[in-house]
Amino acid sequence: MSLSLSLNAQFVVKGKVTDKSNNEPLPGVTVSLQGSSSGTSTSSTGTYSITLPNGNGALVFSNVGYSNQTIKVNGKQSIDVQLAAGLTPSLSEVVVVGYGTQRKKDLTGAVGQVKATQLENENPSSVQDVLRGNVSGLNISQTNSASAKGGGDLLVRGKSSINAGTSPLIVVDGVIYYGQLSDINPNDISTIDVLKDASSAAVFGAKSASGVVLITTKKGTSDEPQITLNSNVGYGEVANNETLYDGPGFVSWRTDVQNSRFIDHSPYEYDDPRNLPSDVSLDDWLAYDNSSGDPVDVWLTRLGMRPVEIANYKDGITTNWYDMMFQKGFRQDHTISLSGKKNDVSYYMSVGYTNNEGVIVGDEFTTLRTRLNLEGKISKYLSVGINMQFADRDESSVPVNWGQMVNSSPYGKLYNDDTATFRDSPNDDLGNNSNPFLDIAYTSRLQKTNSLFGTLYAKGELPAGFSYQVNFTPHFDFYRYFNGVSADHPSYRVRKGIATRTDRTTYDWQIDNILKWDRTFGEHKFNVTLLANAEKYQSWETQVDNEGFDPNDNLSYHNIGAGIKPIAKSDDQVSTGNALMARLNYTLMERYLLTLSYRRDGYSAFGQGNRTADFPAVAVGWLFTNEKFMENATWLNSGKLRFSWGINGNRDIGRYVALSELTTGKYQYITPGGEVIPVSQLWVSRMSNPGLQWEKTTSYNIGFDFSVLNNRLGGSIDVYEKSTSDLLIKRSLPTVIGFDDVMANLGEVQNRGLEVTLNSTNINRKNFSWRTTASFWLNRNKIVHLYGPVNVLDAEGKVIGQVENDDPDNKWFIGHDLSEIWNQKILGIWQADEAEQASEYGVFPGDFKVEDVDGDKKYSDADRQFMGFTTPRFQWTLRNEFTLFRDFDVSFMLYSSWGQKATYNEAKNNRGFQDRQNSYTFPYWTPDNPINDYARLYSSNGGASFDVYRETSFIRLNNVSLAYSLPENIVKRATFESAKIYVNVTNAALYAPDWDYWDPEFRNRNDEGEISTAIPPRYYTLGVNVTF
Amino acid sequence: MSLFNSDDSIKLSVMKSLLKYILFISAAFAGILVMQGCKKSWLDPEPLSFFSPSNAYQDAEGMRAALVACARNARIEYYGDNPPILTEMLFSEVSVDGTTDKSGPAQDLNLLITPDNASEFDDADHAKIGWYWKEGYRAIKYANTVITRIDDAKYESAEERNAILGAAYFHRALRYYRLVHQFGDVPAVMKEYSEPKLDFFSVKRDVILQKMKEDLEFAQEWVPDAVNKGEVSKGAVSHLLTKVNLALGNFDDAITSATNVIDGGGYALMREPFGATKKNVIWDLHRPENKSIAENKEGLYMIIDRFGDGGYYTGTTTLTGGMRVMRNAIPYWGSNINTPTGKKGTNDGTSGDLDLVQSDLIGRGIGRCRPTPYSQFDIWDDTSDLRHAEGNWMRMEDLAYNEPQLKQSNDPSYLKPLQLHNASGGLLCKDTIRSWFEWPQYKLYVPDDENNPMQGGHTDWYLFRLAETYLLRAEAYFWKGDLASAATDINEVRTRAGAAETTADQVNMGMILDERARELFYEEPRKTELTRIAYLFALTGQAAENGKTYSLENFSDNNYYYDRIIAKNAFYRDGIHTIHGDQYTISPYHVLWPVPTDAIQANSNGIVNQNKGYTGYERNVPALDQIPED
Repeated sequence: MSLSLSLNAQFVVKGKVTDKSNNEPLPGVTVSLQGSSSGTSTSSTGTYSITLPNGNGALVFSNVGYSNQTIKVNGKQSIDVQLAAGLTPSLSEVVVVGYGTQRKKDLTGAVGQVKATQLENENPSSVQDVLRGNVSGLNISQTNSASAKGGGDLLVRGKSSINAGTSPLIVVDGVIYYGQLSDINPNDISTIDVLKDASSAAVFGAKSASGVVLITTKKGTSDEPQITLNSNVGYGEVANNETLYDGPGFVSWRTDVQNSRFIDHSPYEYDDPRNLPSDVSLDDWLAYDNSSGDPVDVWLTRLGMRPVEIANYKDGITTNWYDMMFQKGFRQDHTISLSGKKNDVSYYMSVGYTNNEGVIVGDEFTTLRTRLNLEGKISKYLSVGINMQFADRDESSVPVNWGQMVNSSPYGKLYNDDTATFRDSPNDDLGNNSNPFLDIAYTSRLQKTNSLFGTLYAKGELPAGFSYQVNFTPHFDFYRYFNGVSADHPSYRVRKGIATRTDRTTYDWQIDNILKWDRTFGEHKFNVTLLANAEKYQSWETQVDNEGFDPNDNLSYHNIGAGIKPIAKSDDQVSTGNALMARLNYTLMERYLLTLSYRRDGYSAFGQGNRTADFPAVAVGWLFTNEKFMENATWLNSGKLRFSWGINGNRDIGRYVALSELTTGKYQYITPGGEVIPVSQLWVSRMSNPGLQWEKTTSYNIGFDFSVLNNRLGGSIDVYEKSTSDLLIKRSLPTVIGFDDVMANLGEVQNRGLEVTLNSTNINRKNFSWRTTASFWLNRNKIVHLYGPVNVLDAEGKVIGQVENDDPDNKWFIGHDLSEIWNQKILGIWQADEAEQASEYGVFPGDFKVEDVDGDKKYSDADRQFMGFTTPRFQWTLRNEFTLFRDFDVSFMLYSSWGQKATYNEAKNNRGFQDRQNSYTFPYWTPDNPINDYARLYSSNGGASFDVYRETSFIRLNNVSLAYSLPENIVKRATFESAKIYVNVTNAALYAPDWDYWDPEFRNRNDEGEISTAIPPRYYTLGVNVTF
Repeated sequence: MSLFNSDDSIKLSVMKSLLKYILFISAAFAGILVMQGCKKSWLDPEPLSFFSPSNAYQDAEGMRAALVACARNARIEYYGDNPPILTEMLFSEVSVDGTTDKSGPAQDLNLLITPDNASEFDDADHAKIGWYWKEGYRAIKYANTVITRIDDAKYESAEERNAILGAAYFHRALRYYRLVHQFGDVPAVMKEYSEPKLDFFSVKRDVILQKMKEDLEFAQEWVPDAVNKGEVSKGAVSHLLTKVNLALGNFDDAITSATNVIDGGGYALMREPFGATKKNVIWDLHRPENKSIAENKEGLYMIIDRFGDGGYYTGTTTLTGGMRVMRNAIPYWGSNINTPTGKKGTNDGTSGDLDLVQSDLIGRGIGRCRPTPYSQFDIWDDTSDLRHAEGNWMRMEDLAYNEPQLKQSNDPSYLKPLQLHNASGGLLCKDTIRSWFEWPQYKLYVPDDENNPMQGGHTDWYLFRLAETYLLRAEAYFWKGDLASAATDINEVRTRAGAAETTADQVNMGMILDERARELFYEEPRKTELTRIAYLFALTGQAAENGKTYSLENFSDNNYYYDRIIAKNAFYRDGIHTIHGDQYTISPYHVLWPVPTDAIQANSNGIVNQNKGYTGYERNVPALDQIPED
């Protein structure tokens, strides 16, 4: 073996690192040999010891919030260093790029980095929380984030696909991760890097078009074993309340409902008979419908109130449904970790337990997560390691059906007359109103997922600057969903209970072979990475449903066979992929940077002949401050220009969408003998597309990184253009063909944008420092092509030209934003003096006045117009961090989106059955309240199919946190390394000038276009972080 | 290290080398796996849990499974909440949409029946026009799968092949018969497409019908009568052929094909009490337990719906819980009905302190299918008619005030029959459209063991029944002027129900339509049949009973369809308003429905014609007069 290049001598350097301003020792400073990834960090007393191959080279000392120092070793065995505090992230920091790391200085692409350790005081409870508002160009929706589980969907630099997925690729510790983000404990995260431009992401080829998020977990560094305990408790509550009518408010609202609904009602017919004006006698009033008896009974019956409501009204009993739906949900999260590095072994292990109650009664999420990162050096040239995480996720909770609170009358009843069992319907109106507690009371559910994700790797140093690494990455997911609804539930009473059992096992694996070559020849630095990868995904799912349990359903889903209507289903899937990748990083004279990469990907979901595709990328960088002519420009500490181009792919579609599929199902025939026989049906439910291929995104990125004023102000500016072609699109077909659509590659979508990030150290004194990070970004989206040109024919059928058609069915228009609203436009409300014009459209005063563009008195596509966007026009974030008296850290973070619109059909005041339920207290039009933005109660849409839109621009104060680090003398006495107490508030405040219904960001639209509103939570947390 | 002697240290180094060796081997193994990954076959997709056309349609079993898809598709028309058949009914004389508490339901047809709405709405609150278009062509696709692939599969005999092909022809013809009378000229898709096609054009109605006639004549020859209920029978084929013959104006052929059914030997009108109930023949005929038994000779083509088939998957949702006919067609009697003292009088719950659970007798109706005065009163002039007899037919007065609160307050009305007016003539029902009407209990009462309160559970349904064959032949005789033969056929149906015989001099089209309304409520696609008849008046120029004659020239402006509805349906005629202020309206152009916008838009390289009266009509090109080859 030719390992004779081995290093004979070893050279040990020791020393101490202190803060320049006060001579206090600095713990946790990274000490590394320049140009190498190995290093150590200083102990609690600021001392370090590092073993070098020889006495040459230079040591780099870096620490968060301090400017780096580089000191040549020159044979010295003791080097003490003083670091100057307060200088913001420097270009020497290391960022993770695909299949390796790079100094920020050498980057040619657009990469955003978040140091999770810096956010400890804010106690992020999910990966999404770590990222939210901290990376420009990355949007994280509040979808699902309202639940106890938390979360949200990630979107990098705008939506580039129409029907394929747009979630970025997740990479954990260098390997692609297909699991759930919620299985990663945020406490285990060291840094997250987001690759935004094509060149950076291109090394992930076919999976990278939506960006790449690289998560790096913590590793052991210190010689001494370190135990860290992070423990916090807190609670969540509803952040913005939305009021419902109380008892008296409900009755007066219902009066107005009936007045609006019964157009031709008699004077005061629906008003309180005890307060009639003098010109309407009680007898006249009763005579309207020939009533007799108690006028109050008559009145309330006219209002549609049910006997139970009338009785409670008379007794003055109301029920506050709202307060019963929401709670102060207790939350706790505890993680303990052990880490260290001894001789040739580094280790990090942690176990974390999270139990969150949601703000909705009954909502709960529990997870237990463990992680083991272990690396051992078995020889000077060979290391083996394992990174393994296990998570046990429990999502069994059944929340209260809070949507029913609007349907439940304040005069309804929670319980039956026995005061113990839940009333089927609080208002005794089963058709519209069910008791919000029924689901909790009668559902038993087990919904658990166990996942195991790990990488086993070996990496070896080879001669001549080569190194080789092999990863084997298995991922298991075991999912169980068992649900039983008891026969005591009124909706399932006659069905004698229903139950379902779903089991799904997923197993996917990947193998990476990575060969690297890292060499410097004088002014030329080369770094080459070669990759060969294979992967396979397999899943097996079984679902059994049953109902009609006999003799009873006490065993629920535990004995699924006891029912009389079993339905069994299964779905197994498999897909395979492979990849080859090569990348060259070349640096000339520490000034000129070049990155070339090329990847070939294969995936089984695509059509025959199109299963592989190639993804090249090029990027260059120029560190112009290293040029001679810049030597005198001392105000500019560093400056770099970057340019990149590349092609990324998207394969995020179903595994079999290229194939024709037959759907099966059951039907019955009756034999001449009268016997019922089950028969199977088969029909083609999906049209095949043998030519289906990758979606390709070609992007340009120009970036500028700078640092000025003695490194006190730094930042970067990026502009980009992304063009996505061969869009994976569910293309609409003429329905006469029998298919609604077919998955196809069509068209082109363009995204263009600007991202600016600034970091500054505003004040840096001994007892007070203030740092600010701000970012601003915008993205513009445009459909360039859809289905290609078609011939235009004249009357004789001759081709007279070509035209490319829009897709009005899907509301996609060439030259317009994917998110552009095309709809009928509201001009206001028909007012009382416009009754005649309103009647031409079949509507009445108080209904929305919809613009009739072509004046034909009918509403059609001809009346639709472009009316703004559902995505933001620009976004910004602002983070401020203060350190007071060295022991107090205070920070707050704001983020903001502007210009986006959402539907607000609540303004139509015609949802549900207003004559049978309660309502939120929306404004409404009446002849006496002739407003122009909300319709009358129970309004009519007429022949128009319009939506009401409102802007949802907002500024959110997303986090305020305060941390206190215990002074060293106290800590030392208690034998701690360090101890910190923190408090923080998440979603502390919201400013939304044009929106007044729950929270605009929690307004979700699913793929089917259905709108849902989630309850916005606010969290208060108190925690400690102790290191032993 | 002092713990080790030199031997140990050697061992250790050997072990280390060994470990390295093992690791190297593993790494190489991983490399081999990756090499494996580079092989071409590595990327071949492997469908595990679904069939593909090539491995399914290879024998008669596969082809029959494709026919099951057609049969199952036919069921949705009658199934679930606001089943599409109600839309056929509200575009006629027999009913209107009674959902009065919001705007959206098809009441103001002039306002709401637009190509956009047809395209956009397929929910319970709207007319199901888009559903008929989309599901019609889906079923045509299912049938075309069989027709296109008929010779790809292996059969026992030519008879087997032809019977399967004939059944597929039946299903295709059934949908086209409906589509051309709902939408007029439509694209004629006659084969299975396995790749996108975007240049369809509309084909003339009679061209499509002529092709269907030929197909059905083939099917009539090969499809047997000895089949399971739920499958296509010869009788069903001939019955449909009769309708197609009538639609084409081939009255002699219509008489022949109808006679094939009537005299075919397999079918007969039920005339005596029978089956598991043996109450009276009309009641027995429509009981869920009797519809598909061998003793019942009246059903020609049955929709099968029994408990336990796993629901119907429509493509987006799974429908369970049966037909829901009681929910749809029984009054919303649990609300809006007061006692003479002004208290809420009725309760449609099933639990609590109810002494009388009326929901167990009639379910919890919501009055969506609101019969007109025509179908409730005008056509019932014969007191001996079993179809309107007490017990079979329900009136509101047959129900009682059952709200428990009345008992507690000692209200004198408690458990007394409902009243529409109080002693002084005041109206006691707040919404007589939705909550107060009469209904044929013998058809709508379907016990429900899945929904609480009952909504109408699982039951088979007659799609084609011999009684209609008689009425179709009567119609053919009428068009030929043979009124005596027409009267004879009508009397077969009348006398079976115990009604008095009619005479030749009373026979006219309106009178035949009255008999259809009496016999085929909630069974026949009323709008389709009215439009077919309107076409015949326009085609023949024969004077209608109202004295008018019609022409195809101005079919959408002046037709028998509209005149008939305005004459008989008081809601549309008088422009009645709902309590929500919406007005019932209809226009002559509603004789044809709007083609849904999405059907036109997605066909970007061709033109599917829009009907006159609707937006987009001006883009039309002349409909093709032959069926295109591709």
